[in-house]
Amino acid sequence: MRNEKYTCFLLVILMMTFAAQAGTIKGTIVYEGPIPKLKPINMEADPICHAKHDTPVLVETLVLGEGRTMANVFVHVKNAPKKSYETPEEPVVISQKGCVYTPHVLGIMVDQPMKIMNEDGTLHNVHALCKTNKEFNVAMPGFRKEFTKTFKEEEFMFLMKCDVHPWMSAWISVMGHPFFDTTGKEGTYEIKGLPPGVWQIEVWHERLKTQTRTVKIAGKDDVQVADFTYQHPSLKKKAAK
Amino acid sequence: MDNSLDSSHSASFWRKYVFSIDHKWIGIQYGITGLLFLLFGFCLMLLMRWQLAYPERPLPFFGAWFGELRMPEGVMLPEFYNQLGAMHGTIMIFLGVVPLAVGAFGNYFVPLQIGAPDMAFPRLNMASYWAYFLGGVTMLISFFVPGGAANSGWTSYPPLAVIATTGQTLWLFGMIFLITSSLLGSINFIVTIFQLRAPGMTLMRMPFFVWTQLTTAFLLLLAFPALEVAAILQLMDRLADTSFFMPSGLVVSGEIQDYSGGGSVLLYQHLFWFLAHPEVYVLILPAMGIITEIIANNTRKPIGGYKPMVYALVFLGFMSFVVWAHHMFLTGMGTAISSFFQATTMIISIPSIVILAALMLTLWGGSIRFNVPMLFALAFLPMFGIGGLTGLPLGLSTADIHLHDTYYVIGHFHYVVAPGTLFALFSGIYYWFPKVTGRKMNEFLGHLHFWPTFISMNIIFMPMLIQGLAGMSRRLWDGGLTYADTTPEGVLTGGILTAGIIGLHKVISMGAWTMALFQIPFIFNFFWSIWWGKKVTSDNPWEATTLEWAAPSPPPHGNFATVPVTYRGPYEYSVPDAERDFSPQFQETI
Amino acid sequence: MNLMNLLPLPELASAHGYKIDFIIYVVHGLMFALFVGWALFILYVLFRFHRRRHPKASYHGIHTHWSTGLEVFIAIFEVALLVGLSIPFWSSHVDAAPNRTDTVELRVVGEQFAWNVHYPGADGVFGKTDIIHIDQQSNPLGIDPNDPHGKDDITSPNLHLPIGRPAYIHLTSKDVIHCFSLPVMRVKQDVIPGMSIPVWFTPTKTGEFEIACAQLCGLGHYKMRAGLIIHSDEDFQSWLDEQAAASAVEYDDFFN
Repeated sequence: MRNEKYTCFLLVILMMTFAAQAGTIKGTIVYEGPIPKLKPINMEADPICHAKHDTPVLVETLVLGEGRTMANVFVHVKNAPKKSYETPEEPVVISQKGCVYTPHVLGIMVDQPMKIMNEDGTLHNVHALCKTNKEFNVAMPGFRKEFTKTFKEEEFMFLMKCDVHPWMSAWISVMGHPFFDTTGKEGTYEIKGLPPGVWQIEVWHERLKTQTRTVKIAGKDDVQVADFTYQHPSLKKKAAK
Repeated sequence: MDNSLDSSHSASFWRKYVFSIDHKWIGIQYGITGLLFLLFGFCLMLLMRWQLAYPERPLPFFGAWFGELRMPEGVMLPEFYNQLGAMHGTIMIFLGVVPLAVGAFGNYFVPLQIGAPDMAFPRLNMASYWAYFLGGVTMLISFFVPGGAANSGWTSYPPLAVIATTGQTLWLFGMIFLITSSLLGSINFIVTIFQLRAPGMTLMRMPFFVWTQLTTAFLLLLAFPALEVAAILQLMDRLADTSFFMPSGLVVSGEIQDYSGGGSVLLYQHLFWFLAHPEVYVLILPAMGIITEIIANNTRKPIGGYKPMVYALVFLGFMSFVVWAHHMFLTGMGTAISSFFQATTMIISIPSIVILAALMLTLWGGSIRFNVPMLFALAFLPMFGIGGLTGLPLGLSTADIHLHDTYYVIGHFHYVVAPGTLFALFSGIYYWFPKVTGRKMNEFLGHLHFWPTFISMNIIFMPMLIQGLAGMSRRLWDGGLTYADTTPEGVLTGGILTAGIIGLHKVISMGAWTMALFQIPFIFNFFWSIWWGKKVTSDNPWEATTLEWAAPSPPPHGNFATVPVTYRGPYEYSVPDAERDFSPQFQETI
Repeated sequence: MNLMNLLPLPELASAHGYKIDFIIYVVHGLMFALFVGWALFILYVLFRFHRRRHPKASYHGIHTHWSTGLEVFIAIFEVALLVGLSIPFWSSHVDAAPNRTDTVELRVVGEQFAWNVHYPGADGVFGKTDIIHIDQQSNPLGIDPNDPHGKDDITSPNLHLPIGRPAYIHLTSKDVIHCFSLPVMRVKQDVIPGMSIPVWFTPTKTGEFEIACAQLCGLGHYKMRAGLIIHSDEDFQSWLDEQAAASAVEYDDFFN
């Protein structure tokens, strides 16, 4: 008993020092260029899905917030220290609502549970097209409200989709470390708890691909800002000309 | 030959009961294993019937046994339903009925009926059983691999089967074992029947049962290699990145597949049905053989037209090789080919009707004994009749457009196999039980088995024909609710299935569970009678005419004390001026 | 009482369907007659030749040409069905194309577990398709964005057709075998990857019906249903215009 107490105590101290030493990187991602006109998704094939939306649902290739901030951008530390990290017990939740996956892009740690919800009362099948991890394809008929799955291997960005509603897709990244974040509509991210060092921050978007930047965390409580800008591909073409 | 009488005396336990080379013990091994698989396959169906009658409702009592991957909170998942469907078909056909009809009855009674001491190749016979056993074990194991057992239907059409989960690989390995087993067995039957007949047993004096086994053996020998090839090629497609059955340009789940392509999807179907249609006759011919023995015996008169029946049988066997594409009318067939296969399909109906009509005419003028084997045999006639008749609209490509892949098809082939072949098998078990054990099965329990089974069979399969005509597709996990004409909220959907047609699922399921209940008398009767059944006082308790009744009950190793001599045809009952109403083949005087 | 309502066949909404229904009725009439005949015969025989009433069996049984006659009758009946009904229907309908100028031609592509309908648009020419262009959200058919014929193509998850004009449909599949089944149209055809197979029919009723998948295609097979909407000619034209207007909008999905 006594031993256990000491260990606990030591652990807490250790964690506090670690946290105290840690730095933070944050930033905003914005979009530049003409805003594309996105196609509405035709959900007429399944009347249940169709009835859940009053306004047309657009394809999710580009989701912008106020001031052209970009959602669904995945940010991670590319050269994060290789060691074993504690796996959060808190599950990552992805829900199927209105025949759309929310969130559309998500990161999860190895062995961290992913809770998949079905709020639609119709059949969805959760088909993860992973390569390193074992591919799975599980049916969630109306009655099956939730289902939990874990991934055993690190794997960067694979699609998870529903074959009954082919427009439904989500991007998943299974990470070996906790230094990642996904932007919401406000386009911001924050990666906390980074030890001092020189880190490569990579941002990823499903169509506009990746950008990388090097950020230095000097030491204790250092907060660095790294903003990114994505451009419409046509701008790049023009620049090249 | 080492299958002479004395080799059994010093036989060890293993040699006698496990790796036995005695055709009778192998027959019993086949029989017990086949019955167990039959029960197992039946249970898979009972589970499916719950989901169909009460879609998305938790299965009471047993639901929790199946775990999160198959039945979370007791509700069956579509993937598990598909596994059950594929495995019910596979197990019933390849592990249940064929091993019983050919492996058990054929093995045990063909040598006895032709007066042979054993099969021609006893060791091959043993190998055949153990290959079958391995095939069965492989199929059972496949339920426990990731993704579960094979789930692409018993037909395993690529590309679905090629992109399916691991269970499909095991299914293919299992099938290769089973096919090997059947090939070994069929060679053995052919050689035995041609080479080991007792003196006087000419081909035209062979019991009709032996004729059916001979025809069946040829069907197995010539048709199964096609499926073996198909199974191996599909295995290569799955494991060795070949693409025999995979065309180029496949996109699964939005992902471009990296098969080199150029394969033919339809090639597999041709190979498969080249086996699987003769396979239907593998299921039904031995059954007709058993029925013939029992009807002749219990009408106490010769069957009406032995020679026409034999000719019809051989013709049937031959024709069964040229009808296979009637399973594929809707794969995009031109007029010439579809006309050919419709014509052959219509032609093949004629010999079946000849045999059925001969059996019915046999009843005329008989002195009919209504014992349990005879009840099953008599029930076979109208039940197989329905099965055969419902094949007619399916065999006409035009009518098939509406009926293809509906419950009508399920109703049709189940009428052929379940109240058809299975009734013949039950009939055979009650009939030959005294020969195998020296004891009779209980008559009362036999009636308790027969009548409810006969009634519930029809409650199960007749509504399926109605559902099929109404257009209900098969293999639907929700029993067609997706196609209901109104939603539960009462909104019209443009669907075709009325609540009444979908509601028939409940009737069918009740029928199935009732039938399950009334198999208990049979199971109990079977085991009870082995040890405590009424002992028979004679080796020929049914006063039958064929050679197996000349052997002691049960027959010893080597079968006959002296080689029997055959003096006459197989069904000489009520010969005028004879002393008794039966004149056995092995008895010199009438 | 209308004899054509004895069997529980679904509603009929196509020009050729009555031929299929007719043959189903004729065959079932034959089947019913044979079955009832056999059943009565068996019941009578079982009663009459019960061991109690007929203790001594007859060695010779009956000599009758009835059974041969019956077999010949069945054979002739089957030949008549084949030559008179089934084969002519197949060669004139299934194995032929509609020969009218007002035919609506379109493609239907099956995939696990949905149907995609492809109309050629105003120019009447299908845009080129290639699997490399497939995007499940915006371009499920993989229509080549650089092909001018593809610009006006219409993609729909449901099948919309006008009444009274033949619909000529080319069926293919992206992944596994499906079966394109329109029960009310009496149309059913396997959809096979790597092949393009045509079917055609002429709708005779307006309304909302369904497309079903009749071939096991995976765990979502049971849910692979889509709508079949038969419009009046004017409604169909306005539906087409609406779709054409929607597809005329230049969407941008970063591919261009």
